Amino acid sequence: MGSFVSSRGARKTGSNETDLTRRDLLAATALGLVAGAPAVACAAAPQGQLTYGIHVSLAPTWFDPAETLGLITPFMVLYALQDAMVKPMPDNLHAPCLAESWSASEDGLTYDFMIRKGTKFHNGEPITAEDVKFSYERYRGAAHELMKEQMAAIETPDPSHVRFKLKKPWPDFLSFYSSASGAGWIVPKKYVEKVGDDGFLKAPIGAGPYKFVSFTPGQELVLEAFEGYWRKVPSVKRLVMKVIPDEATRLAALTRGEIDIAYSIRGELAEDVQKTPGLSLKPVVLQAPNWLYFPEQWDPKSPWHDLRVRQAANLAIDREGMNKALFLGYCKTTNSIIPYTFTDYWQPPAAVYDPAQAKKLMAAAGFAGGFDAGLLYCDSSYANMAEVSLNNLAEIGIRAKLQPIERAGFFAGYSNKKYARGIIQGASAAFGNAATRLASFVVKDGAFVYGSYPDIDELYPQQADEMDPKKRADILTKMQQLVYDKAIYAPIWQLGFINAVGPRVGESSFGQIPGFAYTAPFEDLTIKA
Amino acid sequence: MKQYVIRRVGYCLLSLFLLSVTIFFFVRVTGDPATLLVEPGASEADIAAIHQQFGLDRPLLVQYGIFMASLAHGDLGQSFYYRTPVMELYLSRLPNSLYLAAVAMTLSLLIGIPSGILASVRVGGFWDSAGKTFTLLGLSLPSFWVGLVLILVFSVYLGWLPSSGAGTPLHLIMPAFALGWYFAAAHMRLTRSSMLEVLGSEYVKLARLKGLPQSLVIAKHAFKNALIPVLTLAGINLVIMVNVAVVVEVVFAWPGIGRLLYEGITFRDFPVVQGVVLMAGAMIVVVNLLIDILYAVIDPRIRLES
Repeated sequence: MGSFVSSRGARKTGSNETDLTRRDLLAATALGLVAGAPAVACAAAPQGQLTYGIHVSLAPTWFDPAETLGLITPFMVLYALQDAMVKPMPDNLHAPCLAESWSASEDGLTYDFMIRKGTKFHNGEPITAEDVKFSYERYRGAAHELMKEQMAAIETPDPSHVRFKLKKPWPDFLSFYSSASGAGWIVPKKYVEKVGDDGFLKAPIGAGPYKFVSFTPGQELVLEAFEGYWRKVPSVKRLVMKVIPDEATRLAALTRGEIDIAYSIRGELAEDVQKTPGLSLKPVVLQAPNWLYFPEQWDPKSPWHDLRVRQAANLAIDREGMNKALFLGYCKTTNSIIPYTFTDYWQPPAAVYDPAQAKKLMAAAGFAGGFDAGLLYCDSSYANMAEVSLNNLAEIGIRAKLQPIERAGFFAGYSNKKYARGIIQGASAAFGNAATRLASFVVKDGAFVYGSYPDIDELYPQQADEMDPKKRADILTKMQQLVYDKAIYAPIWQLGFINAVGPRVGESSFGQIPGFAYTAPFEDLTIKA
Repeated sequence: MKQYVIRRVGYCLLSLFLLSVTIFFFVRVTGDPATLLVEPGASEADIAAIHQQFGLDRPLLVQYGIFMASLAHGDLGQSFYYRTPVMELYLSRLPNSLYLAAVAMTLSLLIGIPSGILASVRVGGFWDSAGKTFTLLGLSLPSFWVGLVLILVFSVYLGWLPSSGAGTPLHLIMPAFALGWYFAAAHMRLTRSSMLEVLGSEYVKLARLKGLPQSLVIAKHAFKNALIPVLTLAGINLVIMVNVAVVVEVVFAWPGIGRLLYEGITFRDFPVVQGVVLMAGAMIVVVNLLIDILYAVIDPRIRLES
């Protein structure tokens, strides 16, 4: 369902939204009220407990949306404890949540949000415009400087109405507000001011479907169903998130029934899950494409300068074979560096594995005997992927040596332009949309850009200034087509994140929100009768 | 004696100061923690904001000065990852580690000392061979592998014990054994060699010539003297068990200090790594100081030579 509506004519910012008429809007609003309120009134009381085996240590900063640092991991907890004005939900990346509706002025300078009636925090306090304003101004996580720079004023005409006034039109405002930051996740102003930031981390209060019960650092987080949640009353009474860092131990706990949901079970252990009666795999595709990048392509002396060589490399990668061998086929092979769930994503032609054609292209480029490509740099966590890519490239004569580097060191070197010779196996799970991803990885001066093409560069400011969503999408499509045509990258896949559930779990909520790794919405979780 | 103690305390403080310098600068060689707190592709502004938030944008010497000034007040700093005072985190994990270490140490002594004695009085016999095998396995099998095998057998196949976590005595059995086995083997080896040395001494031979029963010779004359080096080693091992049982704590999801150190290293949480290492160093220094003072009390020649 579309969600971006204006009283002065409907507008949309991306492909996930549709134009709405006034009649549609009225119908949608009515449906929202009907769908929300009676669900709370009539639903059965929550029952039972589900226990999670979490693969990383839970941090208290994940309880506070103001601390969201651009990692997807904290949203594992935020989706349970907190709620946002607008957030990614099943079938809609900009779903109205605490905001019942919103509109943008024709000049793109003003956004008006209406708060959903009857929404409240876990302490029973109603959610007001002041809370929304406070949460935005308090936000200090990823992109907070950008968000504050763009904002001229936040007004609260009445307790259920918030108005954001921008300094200049910013087409990405809704993307950042709804998914690329934590600024749109609402915390109770009075409570935070009373207990302070540290007090809030120790006893967080939110507006999400589950309320905080206890947290033991390094051990577990306990949550309990919030029966006043606006969307629906959660079906499961209690959630216990236990930290079990070792993968084999998580699987043992799942097999024994000590936990019901295990995050991140990979490789051979995932195969064990398939063979164990009662257990099932729940793979999800992350918004994290992996790719090969050819940083020498701007050097006329390098073989990579020849488009045919880069196209040959693209044809040489056996993506499906690699996927089956390393991830049981649960990755989504792709031909783009932009996740398919992102706003303004352009669907390129499917990637093809054709080593014979690749060899022809190599010969046509004058490299029938192949060439030494130097080093292939990669994050050591994914060295297994890089090994397969190396073998694939070697089959058409591109010879390289693997250089795995510890994750943080690799990305630091990548962004500091230390790998100017050779090949880079890169990836990104950062939030955003097509424009933000192109800015970081394709356009001149991007954080991970080793060279650029003027025809792409000149399109970037055009899309940034374009307020018509359709025209903007067209420009971004053109940019993505150019990236594909020039074979700047050899995209491989969007990473599969494999989870497992035990026999008690009914609806696990895995994969409901596109690109999201964990269970959400939490209120949809069920236990089998 | 007073001068001796003052001198030893001075050495201890110097050791801790050198440790603080080493660990402070060493952790910073490992890289930038900000890159682990954001997704690849994050803007430079976001990374700079994290540097500013954690004070990493200041010169190293200034950071070290702040660290030492806080340390003087008993403040180990604030965890980057947990946003909680490191001392609070450390103290919350300490009881779990002490509990695990105490049980593992008891197990290791209960197994290591009797088997060491048995091996020493039956040299070349069945118990000696069995002890050597036990020692070889205990010292050579990686504890993560031992842990996983224990989980597979006693948790998954037999269903007798919980696979991981903490909370009940049942949760403690497998991690304590996995941790204690290695140290039991070390204690067994030392007990055996120490006993063999004492059993070959003149006063033990004399005791035998006097016609004392074998059990009395071993228990009263040999064992008491052979025990001293074993207990000295056990004291140091206990500190190691408390602070660096990293692998066992990770495999069994045991919320102790070893796992805190592991998390600190994994997330480049400098204050946590510094804090845990310094506390471990302080424990070792204090134990050594106490041992030195005890030696000096027992044997005056030590303090005079010093």
